[in-house]
Amino acid sequence: MSLRTPKLRLGLLLLLTPMLLWLLLLIILPHVNMAIISLSERVSAGEYAFSLSNYAEFFTESLYWNTFLRTATMSILVTFLTLIIAFPVSYYIAKMLRGRTKGLVFALCLIPFWVSELVRTYGWMILLRETGVVSSSLQWLGLTDGPIEFLYNDAAIIVGLVYTSMLFMVVPLTTTLDSLDDSYIEAGYDLGGNGFTVMREVVIPHAMPGIVSGCIVVFMLTLGNYLTPALLGGKDSLWFTEQIFTQFITRFNWEQGSAFGILLLFLSSFIVWLGLKLSRQSFTRVMS
Amino acid sequence: MKKTMTKTALCALAASLTFAALPAQAETLRILTWGGYAPDNVVEMFEQQTGIDVEVTKSNNEGMISKLRATRGGGFDLVQPSQDRIVSAQADFNIYKPIDLSKIDASQMIGSMLDATKKSTTFEGAVYGVPHVWGTSGLVVNRDKAGSVKDYTDLCNADVAGKVSYRLKRPTLIGFAFAMGEDPFAAYGDVAKYTQIMDKVEKKLISCKANVKTYWEGGDALINLVRSGEVNAAMAWDAAGWKLNNENKAITFVSPKSGALGWIDTFAIPRKADNEAAAYQWINFVMQPKIAAMITEAAGNFTASQGADAYVNDTLKAQYQESFPPADVDNIKWYPPVPAGLEEIEGKVLDRVKAAG
Amino acid sequence: MTNSSSIITDVNAHPTQDSSAGPDTYDLECRNILKTFDGGFTAVDNVSFQIPKGSFFSILGPSGCGKTTLLRMLAGFEKPTSGDIFIKGQSVTNTPPNKRPVNMVFQHLALFPTMTVAENIAYGLRQRKVAKHEIGDRVKGVLQRVGLPDSGNKNIAQLSGGQKQRIAIARCLVLNPDVLLLDEPLGALDLKLREHMKIELKQLQEEFGTTFVYITHDQSEALVMSDQVAVMNHGAFVQQGTPHDLYYHPKDAFVAGFVGESNRWMGRISSQSANGLEITTDSGLGLHGVSGENQSFNNGDKVEIFVRPEAISLVRGQGDSNNSNQLACHVVNVLFDGAKSQILVKDPQSNGEVTVSMPQTADFENLRKGELLSLSWTTEQTRCYRVEG
Ligand SMILES: Nc1ncnc2c1ncn2[C@@H]1O[C@H](COP(=O)(O)OP(=O)(O)OP(=O)(O)O)[C@@H](O)[C@H]1O
Ligand SMILES: [Mg+2]
Repeated sequence: MSLRTPKLRLGLLLLLTPMLLWLLLLIILPHVNMAIISLSERVSAGEYAFSLSNYAEFFTESLYWNTFLRTATMSILVTFLTLIIAFPVSYYIAKMLRGRTKGLVFALCLIPFWVSELVRTYGWMILLRETGVVSSSLQWLGLTDGPIEFLYNDAAIIVGLVYTSMLFMVVPLTTTLDSLDDSYIEAGYDLGGNGFTVMREVVIPHAMPGIVSGCIVVFMLTLGNYLTPALLGGKDSLWFTEQIFTQFITRFNWEQGSAFGILLLFLSSFIVWLGLKLSRQSFTRVMS
Repeated sequence: MKKTMTKTALCALAASLTFAALPAQAETLRILTWGGYAPDNVVEMFEQQTGIDVEVTKSNNEGMISKLRATRGGGFDLVQPSQDRIVSAQADFNIYKPIDLSKIDASQMIGSMLDATKKSTTFEGAVYGVPHVWGTSGLVVNRDKAGSVKDYTDLCNADVAGKVSYRLKRPTLIGFAFAMGEDPFAAYGDVAKYTQIMDKVEKKLISCKANVKTYWEGGDALINLVRSGEVNAAMAWDAAGWKLNNENKAITFVSPKSGALGWIDTFAIPRKADNEAAAYQWINFVMQPKIAAMITEAAGNFTASQGADAYVNDTLKAQYQESFPPADVDNIKWYPPVPAGLEEIEGKVLDRVKAAG
Repeated sequence: MTNSSSIITDVNAHPTQDSSAGPDTYDLECRNILKTFDGGFTAVDNVSFQIPKGSFFSILGPSGCGKTTLLRMLAGFEKPTSGDIFIKGQSVTNTPPNKRPVNMVFQHLALFPTMTVAENIAYGLRQRKVAKHEIGDRVKGVLQRVGLPDSGNKNIAQLSGGQKQRIAIARCLVLNPDVLLLDEPLGALDLKLREHMKIELKQLQEEFGTTFVYITHDQSEALVMSDQVAVMNHGAFVQQGTPHDLYYHPKDAFVAGFVGESNRWMGRISSQSANGLEITTDSGLGLHGVSGENQSFNNGDKVEIFVRPEAISLVRGQGDSNNSNQLACHVVNVLFDGAKSQILVKDPQSNGEVTVSMPQTADFENLRKGELLSLSWTTEQTRCYRVEG
């Protein structure tokens, strides 16, 4: 026995090595690096000094935290809308359908995600633009006189983001709802509940871990989305990740960009933490 | 036992690293450039002639600088930033190496353009760029529907409301400054003056925002907007206007009253280029008049190649002449090198314009 | 409390079917219930029965015979293809499950894991809009009655199997249903607990006086607890009666084999007389027996012969008895189980195995494998049932 332990431990270590390396190289190191960069300021060409000014900039320049606030509220709205739309879909798939149709409909939900986000977003642009499908159909039906522009506004951004997020809500919801044995629902009715109370007291509490994990994923993905707001939002897109991208790529201001990146990480984690507190869920339970 | 296992693991790791680091077999030339500057037919000819594989990555000024900054000047053998963006990037990030002018066939280049580029890309006594393609930014206008648009600020006119597009990038700031009677280039060295000009431009752009359909990002997006009739007037590159003109005679590039903005895209060598020799080979290859004309065909812009005009198709020449009467050519405002720090001022202006309701 | 006597001491204390009584003396009545599923498969085939108020009614049948389907129709989760269901004389065939005065204890109990014990029990009361303070009182009361007065704040996961069982029943009984339906609720418990819960369930039923409809495939559960048992096979009721009836007067070979343990032989009638039947088994044994309920035979008919293990007398070594059936066997195995110990013996003549109850006398304590035993049993305890073909 005493001989086995070190060998076992080494085996475990070797098994875990790829994951630990991945964690270290792709998650921890870049973030540490980013944190270091964010704490420096360009003094002159090629010369940098320690400074907190990049963080101060975020809080003093109303433009930046307004952008963050806007991004966060819209992400919360998108998360909520996605949940409202995805829940009935997931319930239908998990509880109403059986056998092959179930698999088929579930797969149908995944099909849009076989193409890249860029293509999907362009699809929406083709539909929504002034000379696009929706506008022309409305004119053809005689419902409007002139073309209508559906693109380049917040509604377009939200539609695009909800569409992009659907999968990440439907999958965890369907999985948790699928794990709810029909007998619980039947017991809910048997004891006198109606459709609404059974949903509220039996189904939703059971699906809560799925709802919360779906919401976390959708919220984080939406907050971190870059393409959809930029392409569908047009002149009013104004998304925080876009701001980070701009700082890094077009301003060459890695220091500011890093500070924004770190702030995004902490602020979004804070919002998720708040959400978990409010819904009385624990992170480990939700993710298990 | 323990030792051998660790050793095996280390060997495996080392082996995989070695494989990853092995250079590709054939000689390659990695170019970071704009769309159209290294068209497939030219690449093919070059590969046949030299046996060198060419890998082309498409980008823009900011993308090029960012990529090279991230790799500290590695990953590519040849880049093509605009001449005004070289010196500041070199001062800040040290990503280029000086051009060895002795390896360039200067006789293939238009002398005045070569001299101007050499001058504007000189940093601490060394030259960092030679010219390749040049062109202008100005107005792309559908003359049937937006005939009133003659200058940048005309984009804010009520008669084109909702049918206008421009980029939220520095050329727009510069163009509007000129149209508002300022000379931003003269103020390059004077931060206070420049800030004041930019404030003025900011106000104008914010008040003009309601007129704008969307800020365009890529050339293709702009062409789509104008082609579909969703936009009738835009600030854009001349090549885009001429391309649209091929399809619809009403649309063309118009040189603004306050002057088109002239740019020259260069050849520059990244500091950690692996295959410098191939880069020089490519420069001399594409500057041959016939090849340069092929690039003009693909990019829609003229090159600094001496005598290439003779091989360019007549349509493009006619379009050029229509857009640029001789007086307008003299009125082109050529970008001087951007001093470090200005871009930060401009950046905040752009952010505020974007955020304005 | 309608019933204070115990099934264990007095089997016939309850009213049995009485055609003169009106329909409302029955808590539950089914008339010609038929259920055919989409595929054309008939799961419940023309079943009719009546359950008197306050009785414990079991439906016993092998797996897949349609018990759950029948129960789900009673609860309202499944609609009968034809037939009618009455509760207290009212037809509920078209009443949705949440409006029926019946409640169901599910096979895996279906206690809501997201609620505490008290919340689980209060759930049904809340649906009925019972006043808050009354809910508290009634929950406390029912917890008291099922013997778990302090468990209200526990999570479901903190309960033992038997406690869960009691909570599941309490959750239904707190609503005072006319009928409580139970779908093999003991199936998931281990043997020991199951034995214990059998008795407890019966006591609960008597204490609350609620009509229980209990389905199971375990004949021992049905026999111990029920006032009435219906044996079901292939979707139809084969026989209905008291446990005593079913055990001692099975109507056909299926019931005889399914209810209680039996030694079985296949054979043919060789002759009939006033003293009974003479049968020759397929393995060549000659046996004396009687015909089962409502059976009559011709010579040469194929029959199945049933002899209960406890009906067989034993003598160690060579021995004689007055019983008409005698068999000398060797001990193959002693299956020791205290008072329920059995001996497995082999008859050298036909090479067939026979199970015998071990007499609880000192004589048989040191029984060894291979030892010779003389088995004997009477003609009356040898029952023959017709087998088709
Ligand atoms: N929804 C359905 N569609 C088709 N056939 C069904 C359906 N539900 C049950 N059956 C069939 O009806 C028959 C009876 O099923 P049921 O569940 O009532 O059996 P059971 O007696 O409860 O068995 P067990 O003791 O195993 O629970 C089975 O053969 C089953 O396959
Ligand atoms: Mg069942």
